[in-house]
Amino acid sequence: MDNFKQKFQEEATENLAELEEALLKLEQSPQDSDLIERVFRYMHSLKGGGAMFGFNQLSEFTHHLENVYDQVREGNMQVNQGLLDLTLDAVDHLKVLLHQGDEMSDETQTRHKNLDIQIRKYLQEKQQEPETPQNSNQRQDKTKTFYIYFEPEERLFDNGTNPLFLMDELANLGQAYVMPCLDRIPRLDQLDPQKCYTHWEVVLVTDETEDAIHDVFIFVEDQARIDIHRLSQGNLLENSVFAQFLEQNYRKDQLIGLDAIKYVAQHQESVQPEAHTSQSRDASSGKSGNQGTGGQQNQGKDTGNQKPASPKANGGGKKEDAISSIRVESEKIDHMMNLVSELVTTQARLSLHADQSEDNELEAIAENVQKLTRQLRDNAFDIALVPVETMITRFNRLVRDLSNSLGKKVRLKTEGTETELDKNIIETLTDPLLHILRNCIDHGIETPEERRRAGKPEEGTIMLKAYYSGASVHIQVHDDGKGLDAEKIKQKAVKQKLISPEASLSQKELFDLIFTPGFSTSTNVTDVSGRGVGMDVVKRNLAEIRGEVEIDSEPGTGTTLTVKLPLTLSIIDGLLVQISDNKYVIPLSAVHKIYAANHSDVVDKFNNLIVLDGERIPFFYLRKEFDMPEAESQTEEIVVVQYEGNRIGLVVDTVIGEYQAVLKSLGKMYKYQDMISGATILGDGTVALVMDTNKMIDRFTSDYQQQINVES
Amino acid sequence: MNKEELEQINSYLTFKLGEEEFAAHVSRVLSIMEMVKITKVPKSPDYMQGVINLRGQVLPVVDTRIKFGMTPTEFTANTCIVVMEVNVNGEEVQVGTLVDSVQEVLEITEDQIQPPPSIGSKYKSEFISGMAKVEEKFIMILDMDKVFSAEEMMNVQASTEQGRQQGVEQTNGGSRENSQQEDEQQAAQTSASENAQ
Repeated sequence: MDNFKQKFQEEATENLAELEEALLKLEQSPQDSDLIERVFRYMHSLKGGGAMFGFNQLSEFTHHLENVYDQVREGNMQVNQGLLDLTLDAVDHLKVLLHQGDEMSDETQTRHKNLDIQIRKYLQEKQQEPETPQNSNQRQDKTKTFYIYFEPEERLFDNGTNPLFLMDELANLGQAYVMPCLDRIPRLDQLDPQKCYTHWEVVLVTDETEDAIHDVFIFVEDQARIDIHRLSQGNLLENSVFAQFLEQNYRKDQLIGLDAIKYVAQHQESVQPEAHTSQSRDASSGKSGNQGTGGQQNQGKDTGNQKPASPKANGGGKKEDAISSIRVESEKIDHMMNLVSELVTTQARLSLHADQSEDNELEAIAENVQKLTRQLRDNAFDIALVPVETMITRFNRLVRDLSNSLGKKVRLKTEGTETELDKNIIETLTDPLLHILRNCIDHGIETPEERRRAGKPEEGTIMLKAYYSGASVHIQVHDDGKGLDAEKIKQKAVKQKLISPEASLSQKELFDLIFTPGFSTSTNVTDVSGRGVGMDVVKRNLAEIRGEVEIDSEPGTGTTLTVKLPLTLSIIDGLLVQISDNKYVIPLSAVHKIYAANHSDVVDKFNNLIVLDGERIPFFYLRKEFDMPEAESQTEEIVVVQYEGNRIGLVVDTVIGEYQAVLKSLGKMYKYQDMISGATILGDGTVALVMDTNKMIDRFTSDYQQQINVES
Repeated sequence: MNKEELEQINSYLTFKLGEEEFAAHVSRVLSIMEMVKITKVPKSPDYMQGVINLRGQVLPVVDTRIKFGMTPTEFTANTCIVVMEVNVNGEEVQVGTLVDSVQEVLEITEDQIQPPPSIGSKYKSEFISGMAKVEEKFIMILDMDKVFSAEEMMNVQASTEQGRQQGVEQTNGGSRENSQQEDEQQAAQTSASENAQ
């Protein structure tokens, strides 16, 4: 059961996310009936599932919400800001409920009550508005008597359904008079205990709607004949003649039948009964009935991995989606990625072995395996990619809520959200991006008045753009706010003793200061930003996924933050080099060119500059930087890498060749070792270290800087 | 046997660093490996010997002798890497430790273990959880978690960060401080063993 519960939770989480998305869209186009349908449907699924899996509070809560949207759907109510605010709050609350189950914390309970009251108020208010008199009548006097005929197929027991539980559930709806009919039970020697021979007639008095009765049979709908007829308004079982009639006519081996019961009922009730069946209802409620059952069926059957797709409203396009994609547990993908990584490592070994052997055939096979492995690797990575789109709902929500609470008008525009990134990167990326957006709204975008005065449109725009750039993905967040004040940053940094007052820094260097720990420009601390934890945390979180962040700003016109991310975390294309008896991998994305050089050209040079292709290029002799003895050979090789727009040479002993490195973390013990981004295991079983050239050069230059300072 | 059960038993792996014999509880020991080529990671603290390949995973290796304030390990035929699982700030981490030679697995009961010697709180060696006397030998029982404790990691962090931010001079200062600390530890070690004898 816990398993099912978990499944439901997973599914409901997804449902809630989609609900939220639909609501946000609804805000843009409140008249869109498709969207309203969708909202209603998500709520309905939640309600049904919740009740099924013991989330009674959640189910009940959603029920009221659903009622509200039922009214909206019927055109009795309009979608407005107040309702959307309330619904979004409710969605947040539902998330909590989903997490906590029926055991709510005190805080949640208060919130629950408050929201519940608000929602009910909404319903009542709307109901007091003039509706069709029949409608309001129905609601005020809700007690009705139904006749239910339930005839399950013989194989009902196969999936573990106990029809008696269904009867109990019916009885829970109100007062039920259950009349089982046993005429089909065969003689004992022919009886198959695994088959269901019984069928039932039930007279049910309840305040609930017909839909609620349908919900009882939600899981057996396709395995049974279920007829539900409304006999009359009011409680027929309290009518003595009717009750007596049932008692006298009930025989175990024969149905009384709808006609007879209806006949008696009609003659007992002064009010004209509305005995329409669920099959032949009027247009508007018929629509809702179909929708309802459609959704329910889905709920009932959806135990597999298929994404729930409601048959009607989704239409053709979505249906195709459901078939052409499957949902897989992320754990399985992680496992597959690990296996692929292992395979790449093993393949490297095979290639090495094949190269050393004289066997031509083996070499050919190894080459083929290498090709296939590469394809498999690319394919496997592709599977683990998730579009940036998946984060956008959260961003939209944040922008909406935050701009409202700050009294600013902000619109979030997105571009290139189909750009895909490794799912692990997306997971880690969401929080930093939320923080960046928070900063944009809080510090960047001005209030509507300020904007008017500055001659800008009242509504600020935040543009979130994602695009591929070589082997990395860039995500750019641009706001058209007031921009960064370089002077203010400088003053603040001096005050925080981050820089000395005399220091002359370029504008870019000043902007970069906001990523320093303990720096926050906002003078007054708000609950949004300015808590001291700020952009430095963003930077650190991004560094964990090998991401970098850059900032650019133009006073008065806005600020642009660019986050650069690797496409994937676990395998990189690199250049394998040898220094002393260790091997290193330099990411190929950073490598510009490789040159050969004489030993004498690179040691004991006063200014560490070498002329390559007529260009003077600063270099680092890695043996020296790594505290290793000088090489004895007469030639060295220089790998020229890109470093912040400049070219820097790294002198190594030899370049071995291109290599696909499966990145392994150096572990916690080397947490503070940032020049080396990881290690990889070579074909011969030894370990090669993967360089982070940017950080390495950063470190070398700052070391030299200090040395010069000390010397002078 | 699961971990809880393992922790219940009184078996210890003993090994030598120099002339001293140390013991670590078997629940901490995963395997014993012969020496393999260790890949040195540049610009890391002295006692971080480097990394090795342990069945496809990268395992950091610590020179236990330097960590305990002795001279660096000299590699002999007896030098081994003991792979241990230690708890660093609530996280289980695998680490290889270099030892001069592995001795045996010993049964040491609670009553054989005496509290660690303390000659004034200043010289108390925090890595030692107790002393055991087995067949006229004194064995120091190590608290492996403390060997790699938070404070120790902080020191590593401090020295590398200092190095990065404040440059050469500070790093020198830092390492001087470190070596001073190590001297203290060494003093603690020797006095501990003297005391024991």
